[in-house]
Amino acid sequence: MDSTSPGSSPVSESAASSAAAPGNAGDRPAIYFDGTSNRRHVVEVRFGDELDIVEDGATVACWPYDDLRAVDNGQRALRLKCTSSLPLARLEVFDPPTQAEIRTRARCLEKDRGGGRAHTGRIVAWSLAAIVSIFLVVVYGMALVAERLTPLIPLSFDRHLGAMADNQVRVIFGGRTCTNAQGRAAFSKLVETLRQSSDLDVPLQTEVLTSPVPNAFALPGGKIYLLNGLLQKAQSADELAGVLAHEMGHISHRDHTRMMIQRGGVSFLIGLLWGDITGSTAVIFVTRTLFEVSYSREAEANADAFAIKAMHALGRSPAPMGELLFRITGAEGGRTIGILASHPLTEDRRELMRREDRPATGPEILSDVEWQALKTICRSANAR
Amino acid sequence: MNDTALPRASIARSERIGFTGERRDFSRLVQRGALLELITAGFYRFWLTTDIRHSLWSGTSIEGHAFEYTGTAKELLIGFLFALAILVPIYLVYFLIGIEVERAKAFASIPLILFFYAFGQFAIFRARRYRTTRTVWRGVRFWMSGSGWAYSWRACLWGLLTLLTLGLALPWRESALEHYKMRHLHYGDLPARFEGIGWALFKRTWWLWLLSLPIITLPFTYPAYKAALWRWWVSGIRFGEVRFESDLRTGSLMGLYWAAIGWTTLLVVADVIVLTVVITVAVLFGGKLGGTSAMLLFSRQHPYLILGANIANYLVLLLCIGVVVRVYLLRGLWERVVTSTTAYDLDRADYVRVAGVPASALGEGFADGLDVAGF
Repeated sequence: MDSTSPGSSPVSESAASSAAAPGNAGDRPAIYFDGTSNRRHVVEVRFGDELDIVEDGATVACWPYDDLRAVDNGQRALRLKCTSSLPLARLEVFDPPTQAEIRTRARCLEKDRGGGRAHTGRIVAWSLAAIVSIFLVVVYGMALVAERLTPLIPLSFDRHLGAMADNQVRVIFGGRTCTNAQGRAAFSKLVETLRQSSDLDVPLQTEVLTSPVPNAFALPGGKIYLLNGLLQKAQSADELAGVLAHEMGHISHRDHTRMMIQRGGVSFLIGLLWGDITGSTAVIFVTRTLFEVSYSREAEANADAFAIKAMHALGRSPAPMGELLFRITGAEGGRTIGILASHPLTEDRRELMRREDRPATGPEILSDVEWQALKTICRSANAR
Repeated sequence: MNDTALPRASIARSERIGFTGERRDFSRLVQRGALLELITAGFYRFWLTTDIRHSLWSGTSIEGHAFEYTGTAKELLIGFLFALAILVPIYLVYFLIGIEVERAKAFASIPLILFFYAFGQFAIFRARRYRTTRTVWRGVRFWMSGSGWAYSWRACLWGLLTLLTLGLALPWRESALEHYKMRHLHYGDLPARFEGIGWALFKRTWWLWLLSLPIITLPFTYPAYKAALWRWWVSGIRFGEVRFESDLRTGSLMGLYWAAIGWTTLLVVADVIVLTVVITVAVLFGGKLGGTSAMLLFSRQHPYLILGANIANYLVLLLCIGVVVRVYLLRGLWERVVTSTTAYDLDRADYVRVAGVPASALGEGFADGLDVAGF
């Protein structure tokens, strides 16, 4: 409690606002807050070896010139703090000549305030360095990191991931599995033959779903779904075998887990940029997507290479797979924006597989009877 | 210290709060900041935010004493980095829990997003605490106690109630949250509190709620609601015996919002016109190669270049709109609210002792990391 204060009427309350010299404070008037309370001390500033703050003839504080710092102030006042004094002690100087005198004596006045060209230049330079580093890590580093990390993650993680995706797939596609017995036998034979020829030692679970969508996909951990839409578009067992081998490639490469690591890393790194600038989320989204689809195209190309190798090992040609894909999508060059596509263009894939075409040296994977049975796997009334 | 038991010794003083910052200076500050944000891919935001606060705080004064903002950009940057370090494992755990939940039931992990809403509310509270403890007036610091999580669950429950009542519960939400925040606010050893009540705000704004139902009326009803909200908020604030009153006019806020809407529309239209002209010129005067426009061939061969140009154009447009928003809806709003406010019985805050310590900038970092930052 400041016992003297209530009586001492504010010397001139409008002093500060009118920037006039508070009346009885000598020639260099100022207002001083001592850092312990918000009581206004009308003081006089004296320039000695240090800056002396004098109230009613008594020196209340001595601030070394090198410790003086200018802080935020209104339009007219020069507001000072002193690094060797209490953190909230402030001196507000209103009179321009006194301000000028302080500015000439205190050499570090603006030291902590930043601003200035050099300061801004440093921020820009460091930011650019950060951007370049982020860019390099995203383009080159993340693929390498994911490559090295994936083997360290146990396969059981893939299976967990797969189980999660499986639930979602069943909701999206209605979860109707085709159960025709002969069809299933043929399908198992096809899958098992491919698995052995490609040295895939992960146990596989495969199912055909009734969906009319022409697609097939692998879930992490070893589940492969073939949709009836694709099966109906296939004209031979070799066509279908290539596609299934491609999906096995994804499982063998553990692409899901690897992409997840890459995706997480890229999201995080790109998310460092732009921050809270409203609307920048769209920019981050597009940039992230660009990198993701580029990773995805790489993974697809690798899975194609896996499929080609598996077909060659069986003495069969990978070319029919290319034809099947082309039949489904048609030429993509004209309508798909290449850099936004998650797969290489179908015509390019077909071209690659045609180049890998070799005369058959191995037996047919499925007999005609087995192939017909597979085609009708969903036709029986006992589809679940 | 303000001892209310003692009879008042000095004369009651009241004064309108002043604002001295020039719009031109502020405009230049945010324009330069936007340019630097573009060059630094947003990293400059920490410095720009700090500069903006310095400008607003020091432009505001009561009885000639300007406010002081003591925060630094470096604190914000470090807070952001620390927040990231904490958020990364949280995201990871969130992700792993998500997998387990999805295994049990498809899409069951979606409600987990609510956790991030709660976390965002926590961040908002902590960010406010940072700003508060970086505010100094007459050599005494403002500071906040209270718990970010206690605030967060209040905000979540009231948010849910507001959602269920289609916004009708909003006045009570504002009131409850303001009570919590103000109850934990202090100016030195002078505690603040909030005396506004939800019912009073409801009585003043229920008709705006009705008018807002056909969504397109929002550009009119929102500024009106905001004006009523500000008046209600200002008149509810107490610092010890010091109280405030605002005579903010609805029309003046309406002007600000419409200036922002107008400028934004103008910018978008100008951008569309410029793009159209550029593309037309490129196609018409770019020549032809084998019957097709050279420009079209070029864009097919260099899709990254075209996409990059689009992103750059979008970013420039965003930053320009950002300047408009900061000039009108940040500085403009600040100026109008502050200068509409009169502080009463300021003599009751003449002998306040220093108390409280600066809070860390971690909350600001979380707010930035979660994209819920205020200003």
